[in-house]
Amino acid sequence: MSSSKADWRVVVPETVDDNQPLFFSPHEWSTIEAATARIMPTDHDPGAREAGVVRFIDRYLSGITYIYAAADGSGFLELAGKEAEAWRARIFDMRHTYRCGIRDLDASAAGRSGGLDFVSLSEPEQDAALEELSGANKPDPLSFETDTIAGAFQMGAFDEGLPFFQALLLHTRQGFYGDPVYGGNRDRVGWKVIGFPGPDSLADTISGAYSLRDSYLADYSWPELIPHLRTKEARS
Amino acid sequence: MTNSDKTTPEHADVLIVGMGASGGTAAKVLSEAGYSVVGLERGPWLTPAKHFSGDEVKFVNRNYLWADPRIAPRTLRMSEDEVAERYPFSMVPFTVGGGTTHWAGWFPRPRESDFLQRSLHGDIPGASLVDWPFRYEHLEPYLTKVEWAFGCAGLAGADKYEPFRSAGYPTAPLPPTKFGKRFYDACNRLGINGFPIPQATISEPYRGRTPTNWTGFWNTYGDPTSTRSSTLTTFIPDAVATGNLELRPECYVREVMVGPDGRATGVLYTDADGRDVVQTANVVILCLGAIESARLMLQSTSSSFPDGIGNSSGQVGRNATFHEYVFAVGLFDEPLDGWVGNYISGGSFEFYETDESRGFINGGFIGASMTGQPGNWILPGRPAWGQSAKDADREFFGRAMKIGNTVHDLPVESNRVDLDPTVKDAWGLPVARITHRSHPNDVALSRWQVNKNAEILEAAGARKTIPVYINEGHSTGNSCHQHGTARMGTDPSKSVLNEWGQSHDVDNLFVLDGSGFPTATGVNPTLTIMANAWRCAEYIDEVYARGREAEIPREHRTSSSKVGTR
Ligand SMILES: Cc1cc2nc3c(=O)[nH]c(=O)nc-3n(C[C@H](O)[C@H](O)[C@H](O)COP(=O)(O)OP(=O)(O)OC[C@H]3O[C@@H](n4cnc5c(N)ncnc54)[C@H](O)[C@@H]3O)c2cc1C
Repeated sequence: MSSSKADWRVVVPETVDDNQPLFFSPHEWSTIEAATARIMPTDHDPGAREAGVVRFIDRYLSGITYIYAAADGSGFLELAGKEAEAWRARIFDMRHTYRCGIRDLDASAAGRSGGLDFVSLSEPEQDAALEELSGANKPDPLSFETDTIAGAFQMGAFDEGLPFFQALLLHTRQGFYGDPVYGGNRDRVGWKVIGFPGPDSLADTISGAYSLRDSYLADYSWPELIPHLRTKEARS
Repeated sequence: MTNSDKTTPEHADVLIVGMGASGGTAAKVLSEAGYSVVGLERGPWLTPAKHFSGDEVKFVNRNYLWADPRIAPRTLRMSEDEVAERYPFSMVPFTVGGGTTHWAGWFPRPRESDFLQRSLHGDIPGASLVDWPFRYEHLEPYLTKVEWAFGCAGLAGADKYEPFRSAGYPTAPLPPTKFGKRFYDACNRLGINGFPIPQATISEPYRGRTPTNWTGFWNTYGDPTSTRSSTLTTFIPDAVATGNLELRPECYVREVMVGPDGRATGVLYTDADGRDVVQTANVVILCLGAIESARLMLQSTSSSFPDGIGNSSGQVGRNATFHEYVFAVGLFDEPLDGWVGNYISGGSFEFYETDESRGFINGGFIGASMTGQPGNWILPGRPAWGQSAKDADREFFGRAMKIGNTVHDLPVESNRVDLDPTVKDAWGLPVARITHRSHPNDVALSRWQVNKNAEILEAAGARKTIPVYINEGHSTGNSCHQHGTARMGTDPSKSVLNEWGQSHDVDNLFVLDGSGFPTATGVNPTLTIMANAWRCAEYIDEVYARGREAEIPREHRTSSSKVGTR
C-alpha cells in the first residue's frame, strides 16, 4: 500500500463517541475547559463549555487519529509516510506546550490566591491569570467608534510553533466553530451563535445538498450595475 | 503509481517537472502535439470528489493541501546581513494541480503597461525595472486560448480599461453576491468602473462540467466538484486522454542532470519508496513555481555550471517578486452574508495605471471579496478572547466585506531566492531561503490603495473600516504569487531565459512558470503564467523541436538557440 495522501485509508476510531479524555488527565481537562470558557464565555448564548471545545482539543492532542476527517465525514484519515511523521512530531511538541502552559496557569493561580489551582479561581481571577499569561490586558470591545489598524498576515492559521496562549486561542476558535465531526461545536452551537447556516454534514458540501445559491442576488441586470455597459464603446 | 518497478524508465521526448498551473498547461499542449511526455510531480494525485469538501479545520487550519513546513520548510529574512528564520513563505500546495487546486481563481488579464515598465518609468532608484522581451499583443492569442480551454467566467466589455481581447468569455459571470452589489453601488456613487472580476470557474454547463459548488467553501478549499477551473480537473485529464502523458506523482526531483556537452540530459528524482531514479529526455521543462524552480536550478551544480544550471549570469533567484495582498475590511449595520460566494465578486482597474500625482508608480487592481467561514473569518485586529471576542463575532460576522488588491511588487536585485546554508528539508536538501524587502514604491502604493479601498467601503455604507497595509516593508508571502527568479530577456548576461522561456545557457532547458516574469505585473499572475506556458510550449513544438529557429525573423531570434532535438 502506498503511503501517498491519495491512498490514506478512512477509519472510524473506536473512541469516536467517547466523552472521556483521550489525552488529558482529569485535572488538565478541567483546566482547559475552564480556560476556554473564559476565552469564549457563556452568556445568553452558549460558549466554549457547551460546545465541548475541550473535547476537540483533547482529541487533537491524543495522537494523529483525529487530524483530518475524511472528506465526507465518514471517519478519519489514517496518515502515512512523511506527513504522519511530521504530525506525530508536531503533536508531541504541542502536548508539551499544553502541559507546560497548564502548569503556568496553575502557578499563576497559586500566586494570586495563596495556593489554589486555576480551576478553583473565580472567573475574574481566572481572567487575571490569563492576562498574566498573555502579557496584555483582556481585549476591549470592538465597536464602530474604535480605531483599528493591522499589518498584512497569512491566510491560513496553522499552529506550528505557537506558544501556549496563542495556540489555546486558535484551538478554542477551531473547537467552537469547526465542523462538529472533530468533537467540538456540539449541536452546531458555535454556528448558531453567529448565524452561520453551516452544512448538516461534510457529505452535503460534496453532493451539493448544502447550497447558498439563494443568497446570491437573483434579480439583477449587468447594465444597471455597470453603467459603462450602457455606453457605445462597450456595446461595439 | 505507474512505473514503480523501474529505476531507469524509458527516455521521453519531453520531461516536465511540476504538474501545477504551468506544468499542466505545457503537458496539455505538448502531449496533444504528439510528443511523449513524462510529468513528474512531488505531491499526490488526489481525486476531488473523494478528497475535498467544506472542512474549515482541515483546509484552513491544518494544512491538508498547503505544504507541511516540517517536511518542506522555507526561511525568510529582509536583508543579506540577517540570518534567515524558518517561515512558511508562499506555500503553494505540492499536489497534482498545484495552486489551482485551492485557489480563489482571480483570472484577470495583464495590461499593456505591465510589459513596458522600463520604457514607461525609466530608472527608478532601488528597483531593477526592465521591459519584457515581448508585449501584451504577443500574449493575447494565448490568453484567449487558455480562457476558453480552461473555462472561466466574465463579461466582455464591462471592464472599461481592458486592452484588446480577441474573444469574449466562455461563460457568464457568477451572479453578484450581497457584498458585490454593495461594491457596484459604491463604485457608481464614486464614478468608478466596477465589473465582475474574471474568474477561473464556470457559471453554466461547459464542456461536460456543471457548476454545483455553491457552498462558499472556496478560497483555500479543494473543490469536490468541477465548478472551479483547476489543471487537476481540466488540462491534466486532457493530456492524459491523449495517451502521451505519463504522470508520476510522489516523485521529488532533486537535480537537473547535465551531459558533457553542457546540455540537460534529464533529472534525478526520489520516488515515494525512497528510490533514486534517473529520467532522461530531449527537453526538460521546469514548472515548479518560481521559488522551487530557482532552488532546483541552484541545486543542480556540475562542472559546466558550478553555480547552478543555467546560471552563468549569476541571476538565478534574483529579482524575485511576490505580491503582498493588502485590503481594508468594512463593518456594516446590515447583513452582507460574508460567507456566501466564490470568494470574489466585483472589481476594478480604475486605479491601475500610474498617476504621478500620487507619488508612486503603478496602482492596484482591486476586488471585493468574502470574509469567509466562522473560525477564520477576516477581522483584522479582532479582540482575541473574552466577552469582546464573542461579541465581535456575534455582531459582525456576516456584516463585513473586504476590498483588497495584490501589490505590484517592484523588482529589486537583492530580493532573491537562494539555498539556505543550514536548514534542510525532510530529504536532507537545502531549502529555499527568501530575502525580501518591499521597495518603498510598494509600501506607498499599498498605503494609498488601501485607503482608497476604505473610502469605497465607506461609500458602500461601512460604519467602520480596518486598513491592512504592508508591515514596514516586510512581506509575508500571503498572496502565494511568485515570479521573477529566472527573468526572460534578450541579454544573456542580465537574464536567465530568452523570450521563449528557454535557458540562454542550456538550449534544451525551459522554465515556464512565473520565474520568467521580468517584472511582476500588478494582476493575479496565473492566467499570464498559463498563457505564457502555452505560448512557449507551442514554440517548443513548432519551432524548437523541428529545428526551425532559422525561420524566425532575425529580430526575434535569440542568441543561444541551438537547433533541434529530433
Ligand atoms: C490560497 C491561494 C489562492 C490563490 N489564488 C489565486 C488567484 O485567485 N489568482 C491567481 O492568479 N493566482 C492565485 N494563486 C496563485 C496560484 O496558485 C499560482 O500563481 C499558480 O499555481 C502558479 O503556477 P505554477 O505552475 O508556477 O506553480 P504551481 O501551480 O505551484 O505548481 C508547481 C508544481 O510543482 C511541484 N513541484 C515543486 N517542486 C517540485 C520538485 N522538486 N519535484 C517535482 N515537483 C515539484 C509542486 O508540487 C506543484 O504541484 C493562489 C494561491 C494560493 C495558495
